[in-house]
Amino acid sequence: MTSEPIIAARGVTRRFGGLVALDNVDLDVPCGIVQAIIGPNGSGKTTLLNALSGASHADAGSIRIGGNEIFRLKAHRIARLGLTRTFQTIRIFENLSVIENVKVAAACHTPTSLFNIVTSNARQQQSEAEIDSNAREALQIVGLADRANDNAKQLPYAQQRLLEIARALASKPKVLLLDEPAAGMNMTESMTLLATIARLKNSGITILLVEHNVRLVMGISDRVTVLDFGKKIAEGAPSEVQRNPLVIEAYLGRRHRHA
Amino acid sequence: MKSWPILALIAAALAVPGVARDGYIIQLLNIAILNAIVVLGLNFVTGWAGQINFGQAAFYGLGAYTTAIATKAGLPWIASPFLSVVVVVVASLMLGLPTMRLRTYYLAMTTIGFGEIVRLMIVHWEPVTGGTSGLRAIPGVSVFGFGPQGQVQHYYLLIATLGFAILIASRIRHSVLGRAMIATRDSEIAAEQSGVDTIRTKLLAFMIGAVYAGLAGCLYASSIRFISPDSFSGTQAVLLMTMLIVGGMGSIAGCVVGAVALTILPEALRFLGQWYLVLYGLGVIAVIVVAPGGLASLVSLSQLRRANAG
Repeated sequence: MTSEPIIAARGVTRRFGGLVALDNVDLDVPCGIVQAIIGPNGSGKTTLLNALSGASHADAGSIRIGGNEIFRLKAHRIARLGLTRTFQTIRIFENLSVIENVKVAAACHTPTSLFNIVTSNARQQQSEAEIDSNAREALQIVGLADRANDNAKQLPYAQQRLLEIARALASKPKVLLLDEPAAGMNMTESMTLLATIARLKNSGITILLVEHNVRLVMGISDRVTVLDFGKKIAEGAPSEVQRNPLVIEAYLGRRHRHA
Repeated sequence: MKSWPILALIAAALAVPGVARDGYIIQLLNIAILNAIVVLGLNFVTGWAGQINFGQAAFYGLGAYTTAIATKAGLPWIASPFLSVVVVVVASLMLGLPTMRLRTYYLAMTTIGFGEIVRLMIVHWEPVTGGTSGLRAIPGVSVFGFGPQGQVQHYYLLIATLGFAILIASRIRHSVLGRAMIATRDSEIAAEQSGVDTIRTKLLAFMIGAVYAGLAGCLYASSIRFISPDSFSGTQAVLLMTMLIVGGMGSIAGCVVGAVALTILPEALRFLGQWYLVLYGLGVIAVIVVAPGGLASLVSLSQLRRANAG
C-alpha cells in the first residue's frame, strides 16, 4: 500500500439548516483498495459522497484527491481529476443510446473545438474514433457490449446500474464512488456486481462504496468506515468493525442516548 | 440504403419550383425554409440542451434588422451575415452568461423579457429601425455583383442554406458537444460527474441557436426585402416553440417538418376565414395527443412496427 492516501479528507462538515449532516469527518482512503462506508439511515453516507464528488459541496473542510485540493471545485473538474461516481437513484441519459451514454464520459480527456466538429476534419474523426473505442472497452468490462446501440431507457433496471458503472469507468477514474450499487438487484445480479467490483480493484481503481446491505459489504471491502449521525464512529478491517461495540449499538439500538 | 429517402427528399425539394409556378407558393415556402432554420437553432437549446427559450424570435429579428440597417446604409451585402452573427453572439452572451444558471420558469421569464426588450427597442428607435412600420426596399443578396433574381432563385439559395444548416446540426449531434447537450438535458448532475461542463454546454447551445436565428434573419431581410417588428414578436417566439414541439423535439427532421407544416397550414386553411384558428389549434392539440414525440416520432414508430413485423 502506498503511503499517500488517494482520498484525504479533513474536517468535512455539512449543515442543512439546523441539522448537522456531516460533523467534522476525517476520511483516508489508501490507494488501490475497496473501502466501504456504512451506517444507519440518515447517518450522512450519501452526503459524504456528494461532498467528495462535488455534487453538493461541504460547508467546511479540506478534501484532497491524489494530492489535489478539490474543496468546492465544480463536479466536472473533479471528474477530470480522476474521481467519479454512480448514483443511488439511477441517472442515465435516457435520450441517448447505451454507447452514447458512455461516450459522454469517455470524451472527458479528449479536447475538441467547435471548429473541428463543424468541419468534421481529420482530427475530429480521430478523436471520435478514440472516444468510441474507449466507450466500447468500458461496456465490455461491465458486460454490456452487445447492447451498445439500444436506447438506454430500454435496458432493464440492473443493466442500467451497470451502464452507470461503465459510464463512470469511461472517464478513466483513479477513484470510483459507488452509491448503493446493489440497490434493487436480486441475488444473482448482486453476485455479478461483486465480481465486477473485484475486477475493477484488480485493474488498479480505488473504490469507495456506500452500501446498506452490510453483509454484502463485509465480503468485498478491505476497510470499512462507519458513520452515525454525521460522525465517524469506527474505521478498520471488516472483522474489527463488526466487533466494535459502538457500531453494534448504532445498528441495534440504545438510540435513546442520542435523543 | 438509408440515404434513399434523403435523396428522394432532395430531389423533391429541387423539383418544387418546376411544379408550383405560383410565385405566392414559392414565397410561402421561402418563409417556411427560413422558419425551419430558426427552429433548427431553437432545437440546440430546447430540444437537446433542454433549456426553455422564448428569445429565439428576438435573435431572428436582431439578424434581420442588422442586415437591413447595414445594407441600407450602403455596406456591401457580403458583410451583413458576419455583422448579424457578431450582433447575435454578443446578445446571446449578454443574455446567456447571467441566465444559464436559471431553470424552467425563471429561464422562460427571462427569455420572454429579452424578446420584449428587443421588440420595444425596434419599435421605439424609429429613425434607425423605422418603428412599427418597419423597413422597406432592403437591398437583396449580392456577392460581388451576383445575386439571386426572383422568387425561384431565392428558393434555391434558401434550400441550399437549409441543407447546410441540417448538415452542421447533424455533425454537432453526433459529436462530443451534441451528446453533452442531451446529457445536460437528461441529468445535469450525472453530466457534471461525467466531466461535462454543463454551464458551458448550455451557453454554447444558446449561442449556436442564436447564430442560426441571426443568419436566417439576415437572409429574411435580404430575400423578403421588407421587415417589421411583427415578424419577430413574442407571438412568433411561441410559434417557433410550437413548430419544435409539433415537429418533434430533438429531431432534426422534426424541426423541418414542424416549421414547414405550421407555416403552410394557416395559409392552406385561409378559406375557412375566422374558423381557421380553431382548426389550427385543434390540429396542434391532436398531434400532441396522438404523437407526443411530434410528427417525427410517427415515422420512427412506423419504422419500428415494420422492423418488428419483419
